[in-house]
Amino acid sequence: MLTGLAALATTTQAHAFGDVGAFNPRVIVAGGKRLVAPRSSAPSAWSIELMNRTSAPARLVPKEIGLDRPELCSEPFAVWAGSTDVGGLSVAERRGLAKFIRLGGVLLVDDSDPQNGAFGRSVRRELLRVLPEAPPVKLDASHVLYKTFYIVDRPVGRVLGPPTIDAIVRGKNAQVLLLAHDLLGALAREGDGSSSLPTEPSSYEQRQHAIRFAVNIAMYVLCSDYKDDQVHAPFLMRRRAQAR
Amino acid sequence: MSERGLSVADGVSGALLVTLAALLLCWLVLAIWEGRTRRAPSWVPLSGVLSALLLAGAVLRPTLVTTRGTDLFPKVVVLMDRSWRLGLKAGERTRDDVAQAALGDLRKQLKQSRLEVLGFGEGPAAPLVDDDSAAPRPTDSDLTSALRGLLEAPGERPKSIVVVSDGRLSSPSESSTPEALRALGERLGAPINTIRVAESSPPDASIRRAATAGAAVAHQKLALELTIGCSGGLACNELPVTVEELLHGEPPALLAQGSAKVLGGVATVELPFTLDRAGRRLVRVKLQAPDGDRVPENDTRILTFDVTRERVRVLHVAGRPTYDVRALRMWLKADESIDLIAFFILRTNTDSTQVSDDSELSLIPFPVDELFTEHLPSFDAVILQDIDAVEYKLERHLPALARYVRAGGGLIMVGGPSAFMGGGYAGSPLAEVLPITLPEQGPPFDMAPFEPRITDAGRAAPTLRGVRELLGDRLPLMQGSSTLGPARPGSIVLWEHPDRRAGASAMPMLSLGESGDGRSIALGVDGTHLLEWSELGERGAGRAYGALWEGLVGWLMRDPRYESARLELTHECRAGAPVALSITRLPGAAVDVKVTLQRLGGLRGEPTLGLLTSKGGQPLPEKQLRMEGSVETVTVPLGVLDEDGYSATVRIGSAPPARFDFACERGGPAFADSRPDPQLLERIAEQTGGVSLGARDVATLKAPPATRVASQRVSAPLLPAWLWALLAAVSIGAHWYARRRAGLL
Repeated sequence: MLTGLAALATTTQAHAFGDVGAFNPRVIVAGGKRLVAPRSSAPSAWSIELMNRTSAPARLVPKEIGLDRPELCSEPFAVWAGSTDVGGLSVAERRGLAKFIRLGGVLLVDDSDPQNGAFGRSVRRELLRVLPEAPPVKLDASHVLYKTFYIVDRPVGRVLGPPTIDAIVRGKNAQVLLLAHDLLGALAREGDGSSSLPTEPSSYEQRQHAIRFAVNIAMYVLCSDYKDDQVHAPFLMRRRAQAR
Repeated sequence: MSERGLSVADGVSGALLVTLAALLLCWLVLAIWEGRTRRAPSWVPLSGVLSALLLAGAVLRPTLVTTRGTDLFPKVVVLMDRSWRLGLKAGERTRDDVAQAALGDLRKQLKQSRLEVLGFGEGPAAPLVDDDSAAPRPTDSDLTSALRGLLEAPGERPKSIVVVSDGRLSSPSESSTPEALRALGERLGAPINTIRVAESSPPDASIRRAATAGAAVAHQKLALELTIGCSGGLACNELPVTVEELLHGEPPALLAQGSAKVLGGVATVELPFTLDRAGRRLVRVKLQAPDGDRVPENDTRILTFDVTRERVRVLHVAGRPTYDVRALRMWLKADESIDLIAFFILRTNTDSTQVSDDSELSLIPFPVDELFTEHLPSFDAVILQDIDAVEYKLERHLPALARYVRAGGGLIMVGGPSAFMGGGYAGSPLAEVLPITLPEQGPPFDMAPFEPRITDAGRAAPTLRGVRELLGDRLPLMQGSSTLGPARPGSIVLWEHPDRRAGASAMPMLSLGESGDGRSIALGVDGTHLLEWSELGERGAGRAYGALWEGLVGWLMRDPRYESARLELTHECRAGAPVALSITRLPGAAVDVKVTLQRLGGLRGEPTLGLLTSKGGQPLPEKQLRMEGSVETVTVPLGVLDEDGYSATVRIGSAPPARFDFACERGGPAFADSRPDPQLLERIAEQTGGVSLGARDVATLKAPPATRVASQRVSAPLLPAWLWALLAAVSIGAHWYARRRAGLL
C-alpha cells in the first residue's frame, strides 16, 4: 500500500541529501500501543500531500519511534495518535519525552476518538507529569499555525471538532499541539489512494481543509514562525481581507 | 669662593641675646636720662656705654666665621614641543628646525644653568634624545600634562621653565583664563618663559576639525561635521569637499559631497552619510583648496571609524523548507543580536496547491529583484541555503551580490542539491567571491554518507572552538555533499571530505575566505542541524549546533572572539615615518606567522604586495616570523608608508587570517590647524612671571640666580674669653670711678 501511495508523489528530483532534512511524521509508540490501520497509512499520505503541494521534502515511509528510544531526539517532529488511554508512561519514556521537548522538538497529539476523549485526557495527564511547568493553553486565532502555507480559520480533521486547539508553549514556540480532530483519520488512505474514513460531517471540503491544516502543521514544523515575520504582514492582511 | 662674617659663641641662645639686648637698651636710656637730668659730664655715660658693650662682649664672645663654598647653577627645564605639527613650515625652515636652533641658542645662553631638556606632547614630558627621528611624534601639545609631570617628579624643582613651541597647544587652550594660566606656574613656583618658533600663519585652507555626533552604527546615518579653516591671507570662498570610503580591491566609494562657504576665515559643513559595514572603516575626506595653499598636507584626512552594529542584519534565503533550514532559522531568531529577514521558497512551479486562487494561500512572491537591488546593502550578511539561482531568478543579481561581498558584506552558501554547482552558481561572478572554486562540469553533488574530517586549520580556528569543546573531533554523519573545487589561495579549509577529492587535495566541505572587504563561507553539506538533532548532537545537549553557527556568523562579522590574532599599530601611522604592527596571538604552541600588507582602494587584481621591506630595503611579498612558546606578542616593522589606507593581514599558523585596516596620514589631526599662536605663549609668560621671546631673541633670556652651597665653615673667637672678662671688669671699674668723681654716687 505504501508503495502505491508513494507513487502519488509527483516530485522525483532530490530535495535534500538523503532524507535527513526532510519532513518526517514519525509515529510514537508508547506503552506498547501502536497506530493501527487505517490511520497507520496517514503519515505517508501526509508526506505525499506535503510534497505534492509544497516545495518541502518529506519522507514517504515514516518510521515508528518509541518515546524511550534515543532516536526520538534524532529529528524535531513526532506524532502521537490513539483512541484509548495510553496508561502511565515508564520512567524512560517520560525522560525521553522531556528530553525531546527540551531540545525544541514539536509533538503533535492527535486524538483519533475525540468524542470519547480518553486518549487526549491521558496524554495531557502524562504531559503534566513530564512538563509540570508548562500546562496547555489555547492557541490564539492569529497563531502562525493558521497561516504557515494555507490561510485557514480553524483546525479541522476527520471530525470538525473544537474551533481552537490547545498547545504547550515553551518560550515563543508551541511545542506540543493537542488536537481533538482525528487529523490522521482524515489523511488515512487506501491502497488505491481513496480516503479510508469518511469525515464527520461528510464533505469533500472538510477533508480538503483537514489536508490543508496538516500541510500547515508540517510547514510550522519546518519553518517555525516564518509567516509571523513582519515582511509577510501586509500581504497576509490583504489576503484575509479578500477572503472575507 | 669664601665669605667672612661675625657670629657669637656656641651655646648662646636666642633668649639670652634678646635679654641682653633689652638690658643694654635700658642701660643706654638710663645713661642718657642721667646725663640730662643730673648734668653729669659726658665721659660718665660714655664710660657706662663702653662698659655695657664690653660686658656684652664677655657674655657673647664674638667669633669670626669664614665660610667656603660653591655657587650651584639653577636648574632650568626646557620643554620642547614634540608635536608632529612642528613639521609645518615657519618661513623657509620647519618649525622643528627653528625650535632646534633656539635650543642651541638656549644651551649657549644658559651656560650658567643646569639645563634639562624634555620633549612634551601627550602626557608627562620625557627626556629628549639627540637623534629621535625614528621615534613616533605625538599629535598633541599638552603643556599642562607636561608641567604636572614636573610637579609630580621627585627631586629638585626647576627654578625656571622655558617652553619652546609654536603656541598651538592642545592644553592650555587659547581660550584659557588668566587665572588658569597663572596657576600653571604657581604650582611649580617657577616662572615660565616661552620661545616662539613661529609668528605668522602660512596661506592655508585646511580641515581643522572632523567630528561626528555619537558613534558610528552600521546602516544608520552619521553626520560628519567639518570645520574648514582659511588663514594666512589665502582667498577662500566656496570650497568643495568630498567624502569617500576606502575599500578592498575596489575603487573608493563616494559617500557624500558638499561645499563649505568660508566666512571670516571659517566654514562649517555637515555631510551626512551611511556606513553599511561594521568594523574598522576608513573614510577619506578631501578638501579642494584654492590656489596658493602652502600646506596641502591638511587638505585630506583619512578618518577611521569603528562602526558598530545595533544588531546584525541577516538575510536568510532558503530554496526549500527542511529541518536544516528550520534549525538555522530558529538559531538566528533566538539570537537577540540578529535582525533576521528570511525568505523561503515554499512552493515550486510544479507544486499543486489545490486552491481556486492564491488568496487561500499565505504565500508571497519572492521579491528577488527588490531584495538584491534596493535592500542588499542594508544587510550585514546573506545566507543562501540550497537555493537554485536560475529557477528563482537570482542569477541576474549574482554580480551585485559579488560586489556586495567585495564591498564588505558577508556571505554563507549552505550546501544541498540546489546549492553551488546544482544551483547554477558555477562560472558566475558570485563563484569568484566564494572561498572555493566551483567546477563547471561533473555531478553537482554526491549522495554518499560521510563524516566530515576536521583539518589542522579547523583545530586551530577559534571559529570551531565551541563545537570542538562539545564534541571533540567527531562530527555527525552527513547524507551527502555538494561538489566543490579546491580552496582559493588565501582561503582556509576547516572541514574536508574524507573520500572525495578536489584536484590534488581532499574536497573542502567548510571553508572560510576573504574577498575584497568582505568574507565568505562555503559549507558543502545540508545537515549541520544534526549537531543538534542526532545521537552525537545529543551528547552536547544540542548546543554544538549553536556553537558552530555562532562561530561562523561571528567570524563572518569579524567578531574579535573568532579572530586568530589581535592586531594594532604600535603608534599612529604617519606618511614618511616608520610604523610597526603589534601582533598578539592566542596562547599555544610555536607557530609561523605570515604578514602581508595591501593598499586599500586599489583595483581588484592590481598587485598590492611588496610594501613590506627587508632589512636591506628590498620589497617582500610577505614577512615571515615564528612565535615560540610563551611569546604571545611580536612587533613587525611595516616600514615607511605613503599617505593612504592600508590593510595588514596576519596568518597565525594554519588558522584563518586576521585583518587590520589602518590609515596613514601626511598631516593628520596634528596639521589640522597650521596657525601658530604666539599670543598664547606671551600670555603664559606674562601670567607666570616669565618672558616671551622670539626664536631669534633667545640671547636676551636671563638665567635665574645661582644658589650658594657651603662646603667648609671655620669660626675663630675675636678675643680670648678671659680678655673679654678682664676688659669688662676694668671698664666697669673705670665707670664706677668716673661716677664717684662726678659726684653721682
